[in-house]
Amino acid sequence: MRTISAAETAPATYAWSVHAEQLKVKAGRHLAVDGLDLRMQNGVHGLLGPNGAGKTTLMRALATVLRPAGGKLTILGQDVGGRGNLRQARRGLGYLPQEFGFYPRFTVREFVEYMAWLKEMPKHTIPGAAQRAIERVGLTTRADARMKTLSGGMLRRAGIAQAIVNNPLVLLLDEPTVGLDPEQRLDFRELLRDLAVDSCVLVSTHLVEDVVAACTDVLMVNEGRLVFQGDANTLIDHGGPNDAGDSPAERGYSALLRRARNGGVA
Amino acid sequence: MTRVLRVQLLRFGLPGALLILLVGTVALFLDRGLWSGGWMELAMEQRDHLMLLCPLALAIGGWLARREHRATVTELFAGTPRPQHQRVLLTLTAVGLPIALAYPAILAVSAPWIMATAEYLPSAAYGVVAVGVLAVIASAWTGLAVGRLVPSPATAPGLAVAGFVAVLAGPMAFREEWQSVLASPAWAMSPWNEFQTVPAAVSAAQAILALTVIVAAAVVLSARRWQTRSVAAAPIALGLVAAIAVMPHDYDRVTIDPVAQELVCTDDAPRVCVGRAHSGLLTEITPKAREALALLAKLPGAPTSAQEDTDNYLDESDIKPPPDGVVEFRMEVGPDGRLADAGHLVTRMLEGGGTSFANCTEFYEIPVARAAGSWLSGRAPVNDPEEAGVTFDDGTPYTVLPETTALWEKLRALPEAEALAKVAAVRKAGLECTDMTGLLG
Repeated sequence: MRTISAAETAPATYAWSVHAEQLKVKAGRHLAVDGLDLRMQNGVHGLLGPNGAGKTTLMRALATVLRPAGGKLTILGQDVGGRGNLRQARRGLGYLPQEFGFYPRFTVREFVEYMAWLKEMPKHTIPGAAQRAIERVGLTTRADARMKTLSGGMLRRAGIAQAIVNNPLVLLLDEPTVGLDPEQRLDFRELLRDLAVDSCVLVSTHLVEDVVAACTDVLMVNEGRLVFQGDANTLIDHGGPNDAGDSPAERGYSALLRRARNGGVA
Repeated sequence: MTRVLRVQLLRFGLPGALLILLVGTVALFLDRGLWSGGWMELAMEQRDHLMLLCPLALAIGGWLARREHRATVTELFAGTPRPQHQRVLLTLTAVGLPIALAYPAILAVSAPWIMATAEYLPSAAYGVVAVGVLAVIASAWTGLAVGRLVPSPATAPGLAVAGFVAVLAGPMAFREEWQSVLASPAWAMSPWNEFQTVPAAVSAAQAILALTVIVAAAVVLSARRWQTRSVAAAPIALGLVAAIAVMPHDYDRVTIDPVAQELVCTDDAPRVCVGRAHSGLLTEITPKAREALALLAKLPGAPTSAQEDTDNYLDESDIKPPPDGVVEFRMEVGPDGRLADAGHLVTRMLEGGGTSFANCTEFYEIPVARAAGSWLSGRAPVNDPEEAGVTFDDGTPYTVLPETTALWEKLRALPEAEALAKVAAVRKAGLECTDMTGLLG
């Protein structure tokens, strides 16, 4: 149980948690996100796309790590590419990068608490928040183990713990299920549904089945543009028996991708 | 202290600080003969060890920056709201605080060695220590800054080597002593004797310079752009100007503290006095000095009190003959903080019938003076332990024992009154600084 602050219960003054208009973001010199329009509210959003489609660049821009090269990006009501309060937006963000960097000598608890400090959580709330985050990812028994002693799956869960420690309103998870065993993936889906009650969760993954199982909304990008946004059933409906894939969802994904490459947008 | 700072101290700062503590303590222990004479000597000798500790702190900073770089946390931290300067401040505190504490901790670990005998603690010693603390912080933060800019595996060892060369050889590039002292906090810190000091203005100038390096390193670490980093040149330039203005340009590396030279004496007679720097040894010296005075008493015009010769022999104007009726003695402090060669102090005081080579270097004949002293003590001449290891030009060990023994044998063969007259003549020659040759036949 935790105390809910007035700020958390205050009504939002923005229509969309994430709102991108003609967003352009560079990865080095390459324009990896090129004129992308996107609107997201609370719920679990699965981000699909082939390698090089711009998923990670988009995630990095949403995480405010990369500054947009063009267009408009508003997160939690703050124009993060322009004159908005970047610091205010970041307080409401949670981010697990594709390559999760950590201090190997820190314990899980120490690292999650440090991340809570970086997220400017009130000092007195940090120990409790860290404990709750660690419990939610099922790492309670390893809370005081050094990060360098964790397995790949445990590290990923520690990464999720740091991302959710501040109860973010926008949670960005880039390849969060890498290294998780099937049982942990099921638990993770459950966690996503739980988080999505109060948050806008964006999960970037290659695993179409994860998206279908856990996401209320599916996004698909190709060559830096959004080529599909809809629910899982709509994705499945796009697939036909002749499309590549072992499941209806994968066939839907293949069909959409083929269509996008041929110049069409769903 | 916040939990976050505590963890950062534990994981980042502590290992390096323990290494500084270990190296600093071992280095002081190995050199204990150089600082056992008092607190100022200890503070100065520790500063001399900055030639090790500064390069080490630089390397620790470089290594920590490299560790952070390898952790690849930049991406994760970049999306957090905490401002960069607050993050940098936490890192700087976590690295700087334990290292700053390690420096006086080295003193605390070493202090018991001389706690019982070192009584005189001049305020200038605090200045010497403060500069040392600032120097290790400046080194560690500079190491962090360089390591952040060049996160290579070669950075930490490179910094150690560069730091060692800079601290050791940098001052040699300057012709004036005061310039060299500003160039390195370790320069001219090897103590010459227990009466030495470091003027407050010198410590202040060095502290200003170290502080500017600290500020510059913090600026470089906090800045994200090269243009902002270049601002670090400003405090360095300002600090340099201020340090040059504060630094006494006539500074001499052997500056004597007149308060340390002041005599501290026994209340009862016969009076025995030592310099204030050695006041903790007065109890140990007094019975030996009084034994010497008792043996000298048979001489006509015998001295009635004894005092330490606290003159600085590097400065001719400071060399003064002892007052009438006073026998002077020089003393050394052993590595254990107690009187070195304690068994030989009486023998030294009896030399030349209570006179000193130091006050008559031109005519003083050491074999004659020592033979006279041996006759007074009733013991055969022996080599002075202080001369152990001294050699003649041809490499043979220095000794005047054969000549001394031969003269002593001759004195012993004489009737008491005749021998006493000859020893009295030696004393007179020593006091009046006339030729002693042939006085013992």
